[in-house]
Order: sequence, then structure tokens, then C-alpha cells
Amino acid sequence: MSRQGIFYVSMLAAFLSLAGCASGPGGSIYVPAGGTERAPEPPQTTEEKGETQVWRKSEQTESREPEQQRSSKPSYQDAGDALSPAALSLVREADGLLKRGDAQGAIVRLERAQRIAPRSAEVYFKLSEAYVAGNKFGPAEQFTLKGLSLAGNDTRMQRAGWLLLADIRRARGNLAGASQAEERAAAL
Amino acid sequence: MKKNSSSAKQPNKKPQKKNARNGRRPWFWKLFLRVSAIGLVLLACWMVYLDAVVTSRFEGRRFEVPSRVYARPLELYSGAGVSSGALERELTLAGYRKGDGAKPGSYRRNGGHFIISTRGFRFPDGNEPRRTLSLNIYGDRIQGFSVSSGDDAAIVRLEPARIGGIYPAHKEDRILVRLEEVPELLPQALMAVEDRNFYSHFGIAPASIGRAMLANMRAGQIVQGGSTLTQQLVKNFFLTRDQTLLRKGNEALMSILLEWHYEKDDILETYLNEVYLGQAGTRSINGFGLASQFYFGESLKDLGVHQIALLVGMVKGPSYYNPRRHPERATQRRNLVISEMEDAGLIDSAKAARARGLSLGVSAKPSYSENRYPAYIDLVRRHLARDYKEADLRSEGLRIFTTLNPAIQYAAEYAVTDTLPRLASGDVGKALEATLVVTAKDTGEVLALVGGKDPQFAGFNRALDANRPIGSLIKPFTYLAALEQPDRYTLMTPVLDKSFTLEFDDGRRWQPKNYSGEERGEVPLHRALSKSYNLPAVRVGLDVGVPAVIKTLRAFGVVTPISEYPSMLLGSVAMSPVTVAQIYQGLATSGFNTPLRTIREVTDSAGGALSRYSLEVDQVADPAAVHLLQYAMQETMQEGTGRSAYYSVSKELTLAGKTGTTSDGRDSWFAGFSGDLLAVAWVGRDDNGPTALTGATGALPVWSRFMAQVPQHGFSPVVPDGVSYHWVNPEKQALTDEYCDNARLLPFISGSEPTQRVSCSGTLERKIRGWFEGLFQ
Repeated sequence: MSRQGIFYVSMLAAFLSLAGCASGPGGSIYVPAGGTERAPEPPQTTEEKGETQVWRKSEQTESREPEQQRSSKPSYQDAGDALSPAALSLVREADGLLKRGDAQGAIVRLERAQRIAPRSAEVYFKLSEAYVAGNKFGPAEQFTLKGLSLAGNDTRMQRAGWLLLADIRRARGNLAGASQAEERAAAL
Repeated sequence: MKKNSSSAKQPNKKPQKKNARNGRRPWFWKLFLRVSAIGLVLLACWMVYLDAVVTSRFEGRRFEVPSRVYARPLELYSGAGVSSGALERELTLAGYRKGDGAKPGSYRRNGGHFIISTRGFRFPDGNEPRRTLSLNIYGDRIQGFSVSSGDDAAIVRLEPARIGGIYPAHKEDRILVRLEEVPELLPQALMAVEDRNFYSHFGIAPASIGRAMLANMRAGQIVQGGSTLTQQLVKNFFLTRDQTLLRKGNEALMSILLEWHYEKDDILETYLNEVYLGQAGTRSINGFGLASQFYFGESLKDLGVHQIALLVGMVKGPSYYNPRRHPERATQRRNLVISEMEDAGLIDSAKAARARGLSLGVSAKPSYSENRYPAYIDLVRRHLARDYKEADLRSEGLRIFTTLNPAIQYAAEYAVTDTLPRLASGDVGKALEATLVVTAKDTGEVLALVGGKDPQFAGFNRALDANRPIGSLIKPFTYLAALEQPDRYTLMTPVLDKSFTLEFDDGRRWQPKNYSGEERGEVPLHRALSKSYNLPAVRVGLDVGVPAVIKTLRAFGVVTPISEYPSMLLGSVAMSPVTVAQIYQGLATSGFNTPLRTIREVTDSAGGALSRYSLEVDQVADPAAVHLLQYAMQETMQEGTGRSAYYSVSKELTLAGKTGTTSDGRDSWFAGFSGDLLAVAWVGRDDNGPTALTGATGALPVWSRFMAQVPQHGFSPVVPDGVSYHWVNPEKQALTDEYCDNARLLPFISGSEPTQRVSCSGTLERKIRGWFEGLFQ
């Protein structure tokens, strides 16, 4: 497997990940009622009694509700979060370290970025890139898969991920897996 | 024969005797000198040997600099989720003072506006220089973050709070004290009672030994010991019960050698840290620092006169004077020590009388640590022992950077201590215990750990060591094994909620039941999980096969043996709360296992990093199948057994989870997650006794109380490749329109969605109502 190929795909991933991702951090944040500045209010005992003080040997809720109730709305999203400027600054720092050949240093920065942006596909692709630079293809493959699980319907991101995966698999000698990944990229 | 030979030799004896008598003097002296010379050489060798033994033992027990344990540093950046109160607590914990915010290590707060002057900190991955930061907190989120002086940066780490000191090379928690930190009265009292001439003798005190021997002879038994503190210390190094003369001789020699090598204060300090003061199971309580925690639950420096006197008195016989087992004996002994202290002029008579009048002041339960977060630190110690080389851990002054999040720990402790008393009253209420494990969903970092209802009490760590049957927490793994076969199972596959009997080859029968005893006929799979019905779970489990369910559990991180008996499908398998957190991690992250960890990095005293354990992810399940399961676990919170969580938590926070209960409410479990956090709560009794609780009424209130306090993102998984959502009518097993009756939006693995469609029987009016509902939701 040519390291050049991997470098090419990595750069592609890098380009994609850094292009236009300086939007705000994704997803709204839940704010505890009343904030946590003072000790949280004790739960309303009158309310609680209805549910938690009823002793019974059942895990089910007591009341049988009419089955035609409106079903709850599942929460899901079509793509992972965009990188926040803070995470982006760490990714850029990692890029600098990678260029200087410090893969381990880059991984430390990227793990810090991952902690504050754990649902962004780019961070995982970047981690994969750092592992490729350190010749650790096993973890690289896993981080690519993780990134792909967060790419959602973002076809750019998906294509970058599948191509990266194909190169890593080829480097590991898994030619069938590599062409499978390439097919996935081509089908997008 | 024998007789003959002996008599035959007899005649030779006399002349020999004669010869000896003739040359007696020179021969005797020669022999004497030779024997003496050999004896001296042997003694010298023996002394050298004893010296090596005792000094190496002494060196191994001297005061050591503990490893410093740090919490995770708080990351400050625009968009970070943190409340003003949490930030202020974090600053206090990291040693910041409220002030003008200009001096390093101080901050100024005006409502939600903060000015923080950091002190700078050398992290293993680089230096965080001094800076002055300005930020606003609005809606529990940092806004307008900027660096007003120092290197500009979009993200800055505060200095991490120091959360404890440990001795990682030792298996057990030690509490070592420096002589200068010890209350003066302690060594003074110790010397008054045990060794008045400590500072003047050379290791042994012949006069005291003589006095003791006399007293013992008079009494006809051993009533007094003449051992110096040095001798006691030596004796303590080689704890054995036998008191032979040879041992005594050796101890005396070693004491002299110790005194020859070391200063009195060094010996005294080591004595204070080493003396045997009690036993807890297989664990011995050594040193006054640990004994102070063990008997009083207090730090040595905070002890009162009566408590110091008790500890000093116990040196003579820790089990005979055990204050928990023999309070009267212990009180007598303590009062004797108080009198000795008074006689020696260490305390005045008023103080002595007051001390004698006090109760023993012993805590009800023994504690083993003075760390603020004992349960968490316990896990850190185990991870250190598991992941790091013993030789590395032996070096002094390590810095251990952990993943503990003080704000999350605070909320977790509050959730346990606030909720538990409300769950039950009377004896059952008193016996109830709880644990809470909180991890960061995507990193596997353990953020908080509560090991019992008294979180600061270091004792049995239930979060790690209480292995209890997990009940219905097992069901998601059964259904996952089924959903991984999309040609056979989808979320709307009807499963039978109807009793049946299994008969085994040996004639035994097993008849699983629903908790409520009710049976509902056919129910769709998603509801069977969200309402935690037993019969469908067992039927599905038997259909996919118990080995397939075990294989799934193994993939998600269970390493202990699992019985193949079908009752495992209802959670007869036992796990600790931390193990449950580990296996739910994979469910929360779409099928990627992340090993739980508490340690980010360890550095030696010079700042050099020891081996580092990086983030790992490992795909163990099809993300598409896990996404379907996550749907049903969200439904649990909105319509199923977990919905009472929303009595504490705002509806905006989307959650997913699962309740678990075992027979007679012996174990009440809840495991669930938001977008950021995964938490596992357990409530039950240490004696495994029954309670009236279920997963929803015991563990869930603790869990939701915790979730309600923490700013975080809701759970909203990314739809993986190969999954699509469709409006369906599960009863008719068909696609339908959004606002039809019984319509439900379900995810399907592509190709497994129904093909037929039922048209909506609803009228235009119903549709219009539906549109408006959608509009105002």
C-alpha cells in the first residue's frame, strides 16, 4: 500500500473536515431548571407519590394507558455535529504536530478535541489519520468506522470516510474489504 | 554387640583424661580464643545480616511522598456547558480565591460574568501558561470567551483540582503522616506511656527491662514489657507471636542498629506510621493516620485529647482494647492513659477530667481512607495496578491525571444522598444502599462514582464489588441479537406475551412470568422492550438462542462466566454497576465499545510521562441494529417503564434507558444515557434482603435526580447508513400515513420495512388536527 495514497486521502479528509465547519457547536444544550447555582429543589413529593411511592411488584407503570395515545417522537439526527471553533483550534494544533511527525502529540490533541466534540465525524477521521501516520492501522480502521457511523447523510463526509477506510484496509492486506469500501464510496 | 564395643573402648579413656589434665591451660585458652574468634566473626556476620534486614525494612516503611491525584481540568471555551455555580465550585476546588481577578489564582464574578486569572500549569502534553480570561455564562453555557492577557487561545484549561494522595505501589490505602503534622500531644503521650527515655536511650533500655523482669517475676506472669519504641517498631516489622529469647535478642540487636543508622525523629515518625493498631478482616491497620480514620473517621490532626489517649492506649493490645468490641476495657485503658498524661504534665487536671468524661468518640463504621472521593480513587488504584508497571508505580511523587469531573461527582452524590431517604422508611429504609456510576458516553471516561449512601465513607465499594443480578437490564442485549437479523425481526415484529413452560431433560420445569402476572397476547417488539414484558423477552431469547445472547454480552464486554440456563434471559446473571456501565457504553454509542477508564495520564515527579493509554473504540455490533434498539430505549423513557424520569427531568432532554428489577425488589437498577452522559444506578440492600422497590421506583429516581441537575445535550443519535424511518401501523404490519390512528414513526434496516400500505381511515378533520398538533408541538 502506498503511503502516498493514504496521505492523499488523509488530506482529502482534512480538507473536507476543515472546510466550512466553523459553525457553532451543534445541538441545543439542556439547562437544568433554576440552574445549579443553588442546591437543586427537592422533587415535588405530591407529584412523586403518584409514581414512586406506590409499592408493587411490577416494573410496569400502574395505569394502563389508552393504546391510541400519540406515540412519542423519537429523537434522531441526519448527521453528526459540526466542529466548534474550540475543537477546530485543537484539530489545527494536531495538524501542525502531524506535519512535524509527532503522531503521538497529535493524538493527545485530538483526544482533547474528541472530548469536547464527541459527535463529530471529522474528529474521528482525524484520529484515524494520526494513527495511520504512526503506522497503527488497527485503531485507524476503528476510528474511521466510528467516524462513518456519525457521517449520516453527509455524502462528502461519507465518501471521504469510505475512501480512507479502503486505503487503511489495503494497507492491512484486506483487499476484499478495501474494494468493498471503495464500492460504497462510488455508490454515493 | 553395643555393650561389648563400648566396654572395649573404656580402657582408653583414662590415659586421655590424664593427658588433657597435663596440658590444660594452653589447650583451653587456645580453644577458647578460637571459639571466641569464630563466635565474633559469626556474630559480626549475623549483625551485618540483621543490619541489612532491618535497614531495608525501615527504608521500605519510611515516610513517602504520596502520588498526587488530579481531577480532570475544566476546559473553558465558547459553547462549553457549565453553570455559574459549577464554575465557582470548580475554581474553589482548584484553589482559586474570590478577589479582583487580577492576581494569578483569583477570580472576580459579577452575576454570570467572570474574570479569571489562571496560575498556569504544566500538563503532560504541554504548558498551559498564565492568562487572564473573561467570559459570560448564560443558559449554563459559556459565551464570549476571550483571553484578555497572555497567549491567545480559543480553548484554555484551568489547573486541575487535587483530589487526593495515594501510594499506588501498595495494594491498600495508606495514610502516612509527617512528624511535624502530628499533634504534639500524640508523641508526648506515647512516650509518657510506652518509653519515657526515648530520646536518651540507644535502642534498648536495660533499666526498664530489669524493672519489667522484676515485676513479671513478682506477678508470675508477663505484666509489663520493657520494650522501647524502637524495639516495638522492630517487632512490628516482623510480626510474629512467639516471644523466644532468640527473637528478643535479635530485636534488641536490630534496635541498636536502627538507632545507630537513623535519627530519633526518623524512628519516631516511622513508628507513628507503622505501629499495629487493629485488624479489619485480612487487612491490618497500621499507623496512627489510618487508625484515626478507621476508628474515628477523622483526620489525625483533628483529634481531641480523649481520642489521642485511646489510640495511645491501644498500642498495648489493639484487639484486647478494641473500642468497637470492648468499649469498657477501652475506656478504662484510655482513662489510664489520660491520667499518665496528666501525671507527666502534658495536660492540666481540668482538661484531663473533661477528657475522661467524654465518650470514646468512635465512628459506627470503619473508614479506610481520607480521600474525598474514596470510591472513585479506589477505581483509580485498580486501573493503575491493571495498566501500569509495578516498578513505575514504586517511584515517589507521581502525578496521576484522572477523569473525575468534580461537578458531575457533586451532582451524583447529591442525587444519591437526597433521593435515598425518600425511597423507603423504617428498617428497610435504613438498610437501603445505592450506587451511581457516571461515564462520558463517547470517551468511556468515568466522570463520577458513588459507592454508597455515604459517598465520603471509604468502605465496601458497591460500584465495583457488589455483583448483583441485573434483571431486565439484560433485555436490550436479547433484542439486539434479534434485531441483528432484519429478515426475521424488526421493531414492529409481533411477539407473543403468553405464558409457557420449559421442561428440561432432568424433569425440572421453568415457567417464566410477567411482573404483573398479566398476559397481553401479541405485542410489537418495541413495546415489549419499552414496557419490559418478561414473556416476550424470554420467547425472543429462546428463538435467537441463549448462546447468541451470551455472545452479544461477551462482545459488549462481559468477561465473567455466564450460565446458559434460560433464566439468564431474565437477568439472573450478576454484574457490578461498573460492568453494567461498560456494557451499556456500546449500546449508547451505536455499537462501539470503549474501555472505561479513570486515568488520562501518569507522570513521574520530573514530569516525564509513563506509558499512556489512548482512547480506543472497537465496533462490536451493527450500528443499524443498535440504532433500532436505541429507539426502543428512548420509547422506554417516553412511554414505558422509565417515563417517571420526567417528573424530575425536563421533557426537552431526550433520554434512553432501561429499568431492571430482581425478585422481591432485591435489586433495583436503572441504566441509561443522554447525548453526553451514561449513568447506571443501583439501589438495594447489602444483605440482599427484599425491598418494595422496582427499577422504576428505586434506581430511576436516583438516576433522574442526577440527570436533572447537569447541563448536557439530549440523546439524538445520527441515523446510520442503511436505516430509514417510516410511518407504520404496527398492528396492521403496514406502512401508513403520518396522521393516521396508531401511526408510529419507526426506524427500519433498509429492506425490512413493510411493503403493504394501509390507507388512512381518518377524515380530513383528523388530518387537519394532526397538522396543528405538529405545528404547536
